[in-house]
Amino acid sequence: MTEPYLEIDGIRREFGPVVAVEAVRLTIQRGEFMTFLGPSGSGKSTTLYILAGLDVPTAGDIRLEGRSLLSTPPQHRQIGMVFQRYTLFPHLTVAENVAFPLVVRRRPRAEIDAKVKAMLRLVRLEGFEDRKPAQMSGGQQQRVALARALVYDPPVLLMDEPLSALDKKLREEIQFEIRRIHQETGVTILYVTHDQEEALRLSDRIAVFSKGVIDQVGTGEELYAHPTTRFVAGFIGDSDFLTATVTAAEKGRADLKLGDDVIVRGVPIHGDPGRPGAKASLMLRPERIDVATAPSSAVDGDRAALPATVEDITFLGASIHLAARTAWGEAVAVRLPYGHPAAAGLARGQSIGLGFEPAAAHCFL
Amino acid sequence: MAGVTRQAAAIGGGTGLAPGRPRRLPAGPFALVVPGLLLLVVFFALPVLALLLRSVTEPEPGFANYAALIGSGTYLKIFFNTFLVSAVVTLVSLAIGFPVAWTLAILPQGVAAPIFGVLILSMWTNLLTRTYAWMVLLQRTGVINKSLIGLGLIDAPLPMVNNLTGVTIGMTYIMLPFVVLPLYGVIRRIDPAILQAAALCGASRFQALRLVLLPLVAPGMAAGALMVFVMSLGYFVTPALLGGTANMMLAELIAQFVQSLVNWGMGGAAALVLLVVTLALYALQLRLFGTAGLGGR
Ligand SMILES: Nc1ncnc2c1ncn2[C@@H]1O[C@H](COP(=O)(O)OP(=O)(O)OP(=O)(O)O)[C@@H](O)[C@H]1O
Ligand SMILES: [Mg+2]
Repeated sequence: MTEPYLEIDGIRREFGPVVAVEAVRLTIQRGEFMTFLGPSGSGKSTTLYILAGLDVPTAGDIRLEGRSLLSTPPQHRQIGMVFQRYTLFPHLTVAENVAFPLVVRRRPRAEIDAKVKAMLRLVRLEGFEDRKPAQMSGGQQQRVALARALVYDPPVLLMDEPLSALDKKLREEIQFEIRRIHQETGVTILYVTHDQEEALRLSDRIAVFSKGVIDQVGTGEELYAHPTTRFVAGFIGDSDFLTATVTAAEKGRADLKLGDDVIVRGVPIHGDPGRPGAKASLMLRPERIDVATAPSSAVDGDRAALPATVEDITFLGASIHLAARTAWGEAVAVRLPYGHPAAAGLARGQSIGLGFEPAAAHCFL
Repeated sequence: MAGVTRQAAAIGGGTGLAPGRPRRLPAGPFALVVPGLLLLVVFFALPVLALLLRSVTEPEPGFANYAALIGSGTYLKIFFNTFLVSAVVTLVSLAIGFPVAWTLAILPQGVAAPIFGVLILSMWTNLLTRTYAWMVLLQRTGVINKSLIGLGLIDAPLPMVNNLTGVTIGMTYIMLPFVVLPLYGVIRRIDPAILQAAALCGASRFQALRLVLLPLVAPGMAAGALMVFVMSLGYFVTPALLGGTANMMLAELIAQFVQSLVNWGMGGAAALVLLVVTLALYALQLRLFGTAGLGGR
């Protein structure tokens, strides 16, 4: 771990009775690509606006290399930002837009021209210098906005859902560009999105926002493999949740009872179950469930198995999607890779066993 | 603004208007314009043309009327007064109107609406009433002079009626809504995020004002300024009541030629000068800003 670069220290933001950000705490390393991922209204933009200086926290502090930023107005923070909406200056050309941060800093003309040229090359918009924003597509406008935000070499770049107005193909293309620019410039990026795929594709680490707090921070893989809250488990990747009762728990592992008589032992548990009998949910990843054609609830070695019936089978190319229902009536989605031997003989209404490894499952209270 | 236009275009193009749909409006609606146009031609264009004709035919054919108008110091002074007052009224209206429009644009609707109500109501109040009200306020024994003397700020009452100061004050008041409304329109159309972007680009407040805000509101300013200047050039009531006979403006001169002196030739010549100046200013505005800010797109 290197020393903290950008620190968000317990910020809170209230809008009258609404608490938009409750207590956000986060440390970002220099050069890191950090993504804020979370549902609508979870406080991502508010946190970003506070970092930019466009909003002021009710409580808490933000520090860049140890110095508080709160008393610095936005024009002096040296933080670049790309907004969700197109915010190019409509009366200026592309080149003038990109030059703007340098013009207000009174840089010499030759330097401005050289940097604008280099930035437009970086975002692959050479030849568009004299266009007005209204003559550009949304994706091109956002690339100009990116160039404008980066032209004066800000150490930190904020992006608030910059691609959400674009179609999928264009979005992926610009995601790739952003990734490349991040690597080439080494700028520290804070990126907001509610698209988990985008977050996974771009980020070094992801902070998952939920109702004004960060539920969990980690690499995409960490969040996927080791979610610490039910919310994170449900938000990153696909997941099945089953109702369970905790029968015993110690050292972070729990024994669970599902339905009337199925016992699953040794599931990692998050939170304190208190005394046995607590209600909990068991989380499984659809692609980590195995299908046995004989119904069984027997524990086979390290694996657990749930008796179920096939309700529907959907062929999705690379995978086969199975809608199953447990013997006690809960829906479970299963994804089998194409060509999996178990998929071959399945039919609707058939009784099956859903096998999984308890150690790879999660139990949330 | 441009963004909006572009979006509209994108929506129009994207949803793909039905292939057979004509691009131009059908001829039908044009017929609806004909009665209005006819009315304008018969009751406005023709009389104006007749008046202008009389300016070169009465009392005898030629440009004698114009020569008289330009050759006389008295008349030139009236032209000078008219342009001076109109220019000052325009500048002061802009200077007061801009902060007013800005404040109205950023206030919550609930607060801005009543202020607008007052603004519009003042426009609907009888012009004579409002001008007489200013007379009461501005005269030697009026509220303003009495207060200033009472506060000990001045010894003798300031002369504010029967001179151009009074005219300028009274007209600025009347013209204010005509700059506030178009300015409010353009300011409301500016996305606040654009100004935030300017700040994040490192622009100081003043730089953001000069490099972003002013260029974006320029069409509204030009529209308001044109409206006020042109209306001021031809204004009659306020100069007549607050200016006194010694400080005549062009409209009063025209009225005097036509009504008191029954000199249609001179009246027509003065009117033509006014018309030409007005049209020239309008052409300039169109050239610089197109129809943007005049309510068109
Ligand atoms: N100016 C404001 N006044 C009142 N409430 C606000 C204001 N700005 C944000 N909020 C509220 O604060 C909460 C968090 O808003 P925020 O914009 O940060 O969410 P977000 O995570 O960015 O969501 P989205 O993904 O929809 O952009 C929301 O409930 C929102 O309604
Ligand atoms: Mg947001």
